[in-house]
Amino acid sequence: MATRRLRRSATRQGAGHGARGETGRNRRSAKAGVFPPRGGATSAAGLKHFTIAALLIVVGLPLAMIGLQAVFPEIAAGRLGAPFTALAPVFQDPRLPQLILNTLKLAAGVVLLSAVIGIPLGVLRGWFRIPVAPLWDLLMLVPFLIPPYIAAMGWILFLQPAGYWQQLTGWHAGNFLFSFPGVVFVMTLNVFPVVYFAVSRGVASAGGRLADVARVCGAPPWRALWRVTLPLAAPAMAASLLLAFAMSIEEYGTPAVLAANAGFFVLVTGIESRLSEWPIDLPGAAVMSLILVALALTVFSLQRRLLRGRDFETIGGKPAAMAERELGVWRWPVLLAFTAVVMLATVAPLFAIGATAFSRTLSGGLTAGNLGLDHFHAIFTEGSAALRAFGLSIGLGLAAALLTGLLGAAVAYVASRPAQRGGRWLDALSALPNTLPGVVVAVGLILLWNQPFLPFTPYNTVAILLLAYVCLLLPYPVRYAQAALRQVAGNLEAAARVHGAGIYRALWRIVLPLVWPSVLAAMVLVFAVASRELVASLLLAPAGMQTVSVFVWRQFEQGSVGQGMAVSLLTILATGGLILAALHVLRRLQRN
Amino acid sequence: MQVFSSVRGLAGAGLMALGLAAAAPAAALTVYSAGPAPLIEALAAGFTKLSGEPVSVFQGTTGKIFARLEAEAANPQADVVISASWDSAVDLDQRGWLMPYASPKAASVPDVYKTSNYVAQGLSALALVWNTKSGTPRPGDWNDLTADAFRDKVNLPDPAQSGTALELLAGLVSAQGDKAWQLMSELRGNGAAVAGANAAALNPVLQGAKAAVFGAVDYVAYGQKAKGEAIEVIFPSSGTVIAPRPMMILKSTSQPEQAKAFIDYVLSSAGQTEVAKVYLIPATTGVPAQRVGLADIPLLQPSRAVDGGTPPATDRATLLREFDQAFGR
Repeated sequence: MATRRLRRSATRQGAGHGARGETGRNRRSAKAGVFPPRGGATSAAGLKHFTIAALLIVVGLPLAMIGLQAVFPEIAAGRLGAPFTALAPVFQDPRLPQLILNTLKLAAGVVLLSAVIGIPLGVLRGWFRIPVAPLWDLLMLVPFLIPPYIAAMGWILFLQPAGYWQQLTGWHAGNFLFSFPGVVFVMTLNVFPVVYFAVSRGVASAGGRLADVARVCGAPPWRALWRVTLPLAAPAMAASLLLAFAMSIEEYGTPAVLAANAGFFVLVTGIESRLSEWPIDLPGAAVMSLILVALALTVFSLQRRLLRGRDFETIGGKPAAMAERELGVWRWPVLLAFTAVVMLATVAPLFAIGATAFSRTLSGGLTAGNLGLDHFHAIFTEGSAALRAFGLSIGLGLAAALLTGLLGAAVAYVASRPAQRGGRWLDALSALPNTLPGVVVAVGLILLWNQPFLPFTPYNTVAILLLAYVCLLLPYPVRYAQAALRQVAGNLEAAARVHGAGIYRALWRIVLPLVWPSVLAAMVLVFAVASRELVASLLLAPAGMQTVSVFVWRQFEQGSVGQGMAVSLLTILATGGLILAALHVLRRLQRN
Repeated sequence: MQVFSSVRGLAGAGLMALGLAAAAPAAALTVYSAGPAPLIEALAAGFTKLSGEPVSVFQGTTGKIFARLEAEAANPQADVVISASWDSAVDLDQRGWLMPYASPKAASVPDVYKTSNYVAQGLSALALVWNTKSGTPRPGDWNDLTADAFRDKVNLPDPAQSGTALELLAGLVSAQGDKAWQLMSELRGNGAAVAGANAAALNPVLQGAKAAVFGAVDYVAYGQKAKGEAIEVIFPSSGTVIAPRPMMILKSTSQPEQAKAFIDYVLSSAGQTEVAKVYLIPATTGVPAQRVGLADIPLLQPSRAVDGGTPPATDRATLLREFDQAFGR
């Protein structure tokens, strides 16, 4: 409370000093170059308004179109007739309660299991010196690079009767895979890395100094961890679990591939079927999407309530060397845990994908005579379609990572400053896309941008895919930046402002460097997810253009599992390699 | 001041969004087509080579194509639509979306596969697809899959997710009445699984997790067989259904002449040769099929195509309800 009061008064002072500081700022601005010599208060408002406007265009308007679609069933044809007639059929459907229950059950299962796996590993990674730590990080990132439906198909090929596991060991686990626990298991392996990365970053940045203080005051290391570091990292944990919840109510690939066999249906499969099976039911899908959004908002406000008053500022000014602790005798058990998780989350699906890609035929099985490069050969001889798709996906992934990183950091900043009224709404709006199935966002974007009266439109150009990815993935950088901002003391920024720095300069020189690692981590995730996004791309791909995931999907659709897996494998390796290279370069830059 | 800032912010963000947009779409003929992708790409390239007119293709499942058409209703983008579901064309026609066109090239297309507003691009049939290495006896008819040898070894595409599976169900019900539902109950009793759309039902049979698909789309299986998979495509002796793939021109098209020329090209012998290459049955009689032809496939009688209308009690909602009941879903 005291800090808040201080921060607010500091901001007021900063604004009050505006007139006096003007000349000084002008003089300095020549050196600062990129920072416009504007009055602090006006600039702050400018940033705020720009952020709000961008958020409205990218997220607000497409979502509003979904809302309108739910209320006015004929809006796609440009009419407002028969309002509210789409609501009754959805709510009177006797299966609806079961769908909602299944959705919550699945999400609860995935969040729980993600917490069980992600939190301990994340804490260990952030708190101790883990041998070859960057390698573990990379291996934990791989599940993000594997599209969920590919991972699910990989697990089927691996565990079903006559699958690779049975071919290798004589055992199969088809009954487990095609069941509720099986769906939770496969989905968790896709989702838990968000928790792992957020927790390890949170612990690493919360860990240092305050825990050392506890140690100096006599607390044993485990106690310092338990009483100081973990509570400090709680916001990061909660935010990542919320993200995991949203991902698991929104994810379509795994339930579609696995749960259909188990007879386990969720809201998102209901929505997708309304949008992908003729006859198409746009209004029904919109209404069901709003139910999903309502679920997510409930959990979201619950999280806000839980975290209220738990902002801990751990980065208060003095730079602290990160002294990582040694594991000692625990080294081997910890390594074993990491290995086990990586085997399940990364190696097993990659093995299934690779085995299928290098097999001439599926019916030939894992035999030496069936090994071959036929599928890879086909990719490079059947023209450049696969390569062009690959280039498009990489480009879109990079662009989406940059845009979401910038906008996400801005949204998190604007929403987190305590003086901002309506910050909560910004926050909620930026979280919403995470709860919406990609296909619904795609429909919203078509409804919005295909209006005949628009003078220009990104629709039917590559920009519509970018808009879709930015909308869908914005929640990652926002959550990550927010968790980081919660730890940055507002008085650092205030101090900069008091010393005459403009708002942009304070942001650029003080706030951004402090939240940069978190935003960068989120941008890497965005790149990974955007470069393999399928569900929205299937509907939005401009005529004559396809992304890698769409290309692979078309291969599967025609029964060419092997060729689809070959392209997937190449894509996973290439995106993984790119991320590795980028991180390497960034580490170099940071060191200099 | 506040308002001004907001407006300025909005304009800035708007410009950013617009700056991302490329130039207005070119005036290419836009075709929305259900799979297979290589076919529509070959047809587009062939048409462009012949006429010099560019073609822009959106390829997806029938469901995706229609979702996009519905969402675009205020400002339709497609000129020509090729679907894998005959019923979807019937529906668009009833809603008055289609432009009548009788292609001169359609003369040799059998009457049941054309109307004044749409015509088949090619035909597929629903078949039993059987893994020859599965250790099960070769099935000859639908009923054979209820035998003990096939316990837990049969996949059915979900008729709620596969238009062709729905057509097979309708065909079986209109030909055999309650016996069709009895067959479904016996399949369920024998451990048959309802496994997503067509590809999801076929893949486990390729690896050997399942021995047979009840009602697979034949041309996809022929394609896999040609790549060396150990499977056989079997047309059941009691008959199956044909799934014609309708082509249609949307009334809203701004380039009706190119659209008509495209339909003509697809029905020409060059176009139908491409259709045959992906193991579909050509719609015109002039080009031979690269697989079992129409004359050699036993058909369920009466099928929807012969009736020219939907027989009683085989509407989608009824079929899906009864199917769910038979499979206890």
